[in-house]
Amino acid sequence: MADYQLIIIGCGLSGLAAGIRAARFGRRTLILEQHTVAGGLNSYYHRRGVLLETGLHAMTNFAAIGDKRAPLNRLFRQLKLSRRAFVTHEQIGSEIVFPQLRLAFSNDFSLLEAGIAAAFPGCMDRFARLVRAVDAYDPFAPAPWRSTREFLSSILAEPLLEDMLLLPLMVYGNAEEHDMDLGQFVIMFRAVFQDGFFRPQGTIRDFLDMLVAQFRRFDGEIRFQSPVASIIRRHDRVAGVVLADGEEISGDAVLSTVGIPGTARLAGWDLDVAAHTGRMSFMETIALVPARSMAELRHDRTIFFYNLEPTFSYQRPDDLLDVSWGVICFPGNFQGLEAADPAQVRVTNAANYELWQRLEDDDYRRAKERWSAKSLAAAGKIIGNSPADIVYQDSFTPLTIERFTAKAEGAVYGSPRKIRDGRTPWPNLFIAGTDQGYLGIVGAMLSGVTIVNQHLLGS
Amino acid sequence: MTRDEIKDMILEIIEDIDEEAEFDQLDPDAPLRDQLDLDSMDFLDIVMELRKRYKLQIPEEEYPQLATLTSCVNYLEPRLKDA
Ligand SMILES: Cc1cc2nc3c(=O)[nH]c(=O)nc-3n(C[C@H](O)[C@H](O)[C@H](O)COP(=O)(O)OP(=O)(O)OC[C@H]3O[C@@H](n4cnc5c(N)ncnc54)[C@H](O)[C@@H]3O)c2cc1C
Repeated sequence: MADYQLIIIGCGLSGLAAGIRAARFGRRTLILEQHTVAGGLNSYYHRRGVLLETGLHAMTNFAAIGDKRAPLNRLFRQLKLSRRAFVTHEQIGSEIVFPQLRLAFSNDFSLLEAGIAAAFPGCMDRFARLVRAVDAYDPFAPAPWRSTREFLSSILAEPLLEDMLLLPLMVYGNAEEHDMDLGQFVIMFRAVFQDGFFRPQGTIRDFLDMLVAQFRRFDGEIRFQSPVASIIRRHDRVAGVVLADGEEISGDAVLSTVGIPGTARLAGWDLDVAAHTGRMSFMETIALVPARSMAELRHDRTIFFYNLEPTFSYQRPDDLLDVSWGVICFPGNFQGLEAADPAQVRVTNAANYELWQRLEDDDYRRAKERWSAKSLAAAGKIIGNSPADIVYQDSFTPLTIERFTAKAEGAVYGSPRKIRDGRTPWPNLFIAGTDQGYLGIVGAMLSGVTIVNQHLLGS
Repeated sequence: MTRDEIKDMILEIIEDIDEEAEFDQLDPDAPLRDQLDLDSMDFLDIVMELRKRYKLQIPEEEYPQLATLTSCVNYLEPRLKDA
């Protein structure tokens, strides 16, 4: 008998959700995580006694208690977590800012509709047609890749509106450059515009603790500081894993949440790694600003999605960073949260992995300083002033992301080509999480749940 | 298990899966999924729970026999008579 029925590589959100599903139904399950804490891309660290989150701007897919079909509530049922006991704070409201126009949206879809009606008076019928097309589309049915850009222009024929709608959806969940698969667009349109943003009460740490406790309640085991060095292949199956210290652990099945390139390396899987390595990575700068200095900034929104150029192109920049478009997030600006002092501002921009990687120690440090200053300056154009009197500032680059999550080239959304059914050349090795294709916090968890349901609970 | 015990057990499993479940208006002869607004993933949980609790293997082609509360009881009665 194998040591475990299921070995999960990675204790990010997809691995934890997958683990809870398997353990809930009695599968002997082990999660192996290279780090000392859970969460992966969405984790936390401490500086000067302050807990800083690494990912969470906002969770998408807000749903009220009782809306049974909503992805968030289905997820809670699947993980046997009480949605009633889960306290959420909805966004105040967000804004898409282009030089020509600002469009506000919130968890009430009519705000976006009203903004579009005012700015594009002739376009409302066409926008309504877009919404109907989104509602009718099943993004989970297998389908060939379809261009969202073509789809949008055929329905809306309003290039500015198309770009404005795409900015938040791409930056929060598109692994491809330039264009986006229509199925992914539909998932993101629902998640961001129709359902909306919220934060769980507390920090991402509380959220992770809840998931870890649930996994352990079902007798699941986690081992931290246990990087997997390889996946053991025996004949045409996999038989377990070898840890970096040489320990072998056998398992009836292995579920990898470390991406396609990472899994290929661990399993000796001969595939085109370059074609499965995403090009979109980001630098994020976190600034802690005294509450009194916040008055100098326009901070009446939860998130600004900004573009300083008239058109939007989603691609790896030619320079280390592209501050011409990005995201400005105020993690404290959610309904019902008490004002924090210092308050946080986070600015995120597209970054070029390759260029960051070429820099040596001192150059790297200096580039980080220089570009985070540029990033905050660009944000200042949107929120009135750059954050001043900063008491603490930190940035992470594509290299930080790669180092801490092993995501190849720091590509937050992983491979542009996904493996939707989670299958690999080995019948008992599966992929879940980012490179299966459901993105974001809620997406990653649904991915873990779906792959376990499809492949590991049946027999 | 008696028919009544089986019925209670099914309702208890559903309650356990879905904290929002309301049984006041439940028609035992109408499809459970529609009435309780459950999806196929929830339905799988009922099957999984039966397997976990009673070591009962229900093949996929027999899932339709679990459609209503009454049909569940009919289907499970002979299989759980010694449980
Ligand atoms: C800056 C930033 C902001 C974000 N903001 C948001 C947001 O506001 N809202 C939102 O919904 N999403 C956000 N996301 C995206 C979200 O974090 C991810 O989509 C999601 O967390 C992915 O989860 P995952 O389980 O697929 O992958 P990961 O989180 O990458 O999990 C993989 C895990 O595997 C571990 N691992 C890797 N290799 C090995 C190995 N060999 N052995 C053992 N363990 C290994 C890693 O350490 C990691 O813990 C953000 C991401 C970033 C980077």
